[in-house]
Amino acid sequence: MLIEAIKSRNLAFGLLFGAGIVLIGLFLQLTVGAIEWTFITYPINICLVSLFLILLVTGYIFRARIRFVRWMGRYPAAISALAWVIFLTLILGFTKQIPDDQSEKGIWGISHMLSFWPFLLVYCWLASILGLVVLSHLFPFRWRHLPFICNHLGLFIAMVSAALGNADVKQLTMNVHVGQSEWRGLDKDGIVHDLPLKICLKKFSIDEYPPKLTIVSNKTGEILLGEKTQSLSLGKSITQGTLFQWKIQVNNVIQTAAPVQLADSINYIKWSFSGATDAAYVKATNSVTKVHREGWVSCGSFLFPYQILLLDSISSIVMPGREPKRYSSEVEIFTQSGKKVNAEIEVNKPFKIDGWKIYQYGYDEEKGRWSDSSIFQFVYDPWLPFVYAGIYLMMAGAVCMFVIPEKRKEERI
Amino acid sequence: MSWDSFIYFALSSVAFFTLGAVFAWKGRKKWIIYSSTLIGLLILGGFIIDMWIFLERPPLRTMGETRLWYSFFLPLVGIITYARWKYKWILCFSTLLSFVFICVNLFKPEIHNKTLMPALQSPWFPPHVIVYMFAYAILGAVTILAIYLLWMKKKEIQEKEMEMCDNLVSVGLAFMTLGMLFGALWAKEAWGHYWTWDPKETWAAITWFSYLFYIHYRRGYPSKRQVPLYFLLLSFVFLQICWWGINYLPAAIGSSIHTYN
Repeated sequence: MLIEAIKSRNLAFGLLFGAGIVLIGLFLQLTVGAIEWTFITYPINICLVSLFLILLVTGYIFRARIRFVRWMGRYPAAISALAWVIFLTLILGFTKQIPDDQSEKGIWGISHMLSFWPFLLVYCWLASILGLVVLSHLFPFRWRHLPFICNHLGLFIAMVSAALGNADVKQLTMNVHVGQSEWRGLDKDGIVHDLPLKICLKKFSIDEYPPKLTIVSNKTGEILLGEKTQSLSLGKSITQGTLFQWKIQVNNVIQTAAPVQLADSINYIKWSFSGATDAAYVKATNSVTKVHREGWVSCGSFLFPYQILLLDSISSIVMPGREPKRYSSEVEIFTQSGKKVNAEIEVNKPFKIDGWKIYQYGYDEEKGRWSDSSIFQFVYDPWLPFVYAGIYLMMAGAVCMFVIPEKRKEERI
Repeated sequence: MSWDSFIYFALSSVAFFTLGAVFAWKGRKKWIIYSSTLIGLLILGGFIIDMWIFLERPPLRTMGETRLWYSFFLPLVGIITYARWKYKWILCFSTLLSFVFICVNLFKPEIHNKTLMPALQSPWFPPHVIVYMFAYAILGAVTILAIYLLWMKKKEIQEKEMEMCDNLVSVGLAFMTLGMLFGALWAKEAWGHYWTWDPKETWAAITWFSYLFYIHYRRGYPSKRQVPLYFLLLSFVFLQICWWGINYLPAAIGSSIHTYN
């Protein structure tokens, strides 16, 4: 049966071929060790991609003489490569991946799947097939092959440039205080790098969602689920509602408050300085037992502790910390080339300058809305245009895909 | 309008979908089939728009909200498939499946939080999720077709029926590809990288390759019927793991930035 499979070059042969690739990968994994992606930087990656393309083109030119190259362009090869790609990606999907900075690699290396030789080799096999079928559909070129070329060439370009360009990507984070300038960034290993840009943070602003009230268990601290609402937003108009058997009425909400200790209780007063907290005066009546409780509830801040209202032996009203709605930084950027630009950077709206993308990454979460510093992420990815070219080609191909089924039907008619 | 009034909208739209499905099954009065399905879609669509306004953000964040879109798209895909290929059973199945998802939302609604974290506030958000949900609905429909062909159909599977599977998978995969690529472009804007092999992304890749496998297998071995149909079912299992299964998958818990519940 084995000989038959090899002779006929059918699906069984393809699957066996894939098993061979995986075995070679395992051998490499055990002898050479896991793949060190950090070595594949410029210009090594350029050399590798050139070598790969030369091999594919040479193979394609001499396809009449090389049976293997002809086989690679047929369905059994594509199907078996996909089967192996699915199998190895499934292992990745089912295995907890360990970050690179943790040294523990395990014998087989599947907890570092992206540096696992069989994984890489099987994807290389898929890329080779893609390259060869694109070549065979490009020469001679036919318009009806365009969707096929878009799909396969797009995936080929995106996959190859994403993999080989990976080590050239620079990702640095930078923490800047308001009114200060910074030009140094930290990489993921905590090493300081000088950037060709200097950032001056002029202003950091944050909008938050309105404070909320919710009822939690005294024992576990978990939210007690009501029938409908789980929390009561102290937004524009809501001053009363029902939470888990309790009728809640909120009389007074102060968004910038400070606690004042009285003889036997705590009062909150308006206080508009850094560190002020949210506070609400809450009246709660149990709809079953008619027990009544009232008092201040506050989420606290980096300056003041939180305040809860004990309802009974099992539950309390709390105000969870406010969630950020939008945060942004007003900055002035200076480049080495002498440019000076003003920009506003916020989440989902990075700023692009001199090949770098600057992202709003975070802020001082402990201080929350009173944060006086902003964290930026700097990303430099010289291969991005190629990956995007691949992605756009695939998008064009996908659009063609739902036009084609119609066409096939029409042809038949 | 909040989830409190969902039951009225849901049940009335299901009633209209059922009316359309019954008439399609009996093969009578085409105008009733189309108009009642359309009214059902308008009612459910109206609820979605109203939720959008009420929440002051697109209702696409929680599992309950994505299920809502799914139960809207299923009858839509059903009626498009019916208009295109006139399969009398398709509306019954799409209505039933839509009803199941509506019931899940009625009996086990998940936290319908009003807030939307900054990373999700992007113009990429609605197209990414809506396109994905549409793809899931089509691939859900083709899964039903595969189950019907594998176990419920007494006679031999016909080439015409396999072609219908192929067409649905092509369209579903095209939408899925767009959804995935929109996601990659958005990820670059929000997180700084287009692909990080996060568990959700890994499972999206598995699902995507799996449907690609089906398409290539069908073209390579057009006479085979059972193997590709079984593979369709397996692909739909992968799709479910990608959609909500990763929330329970030990390998993914705590390591995916795609979980928002």
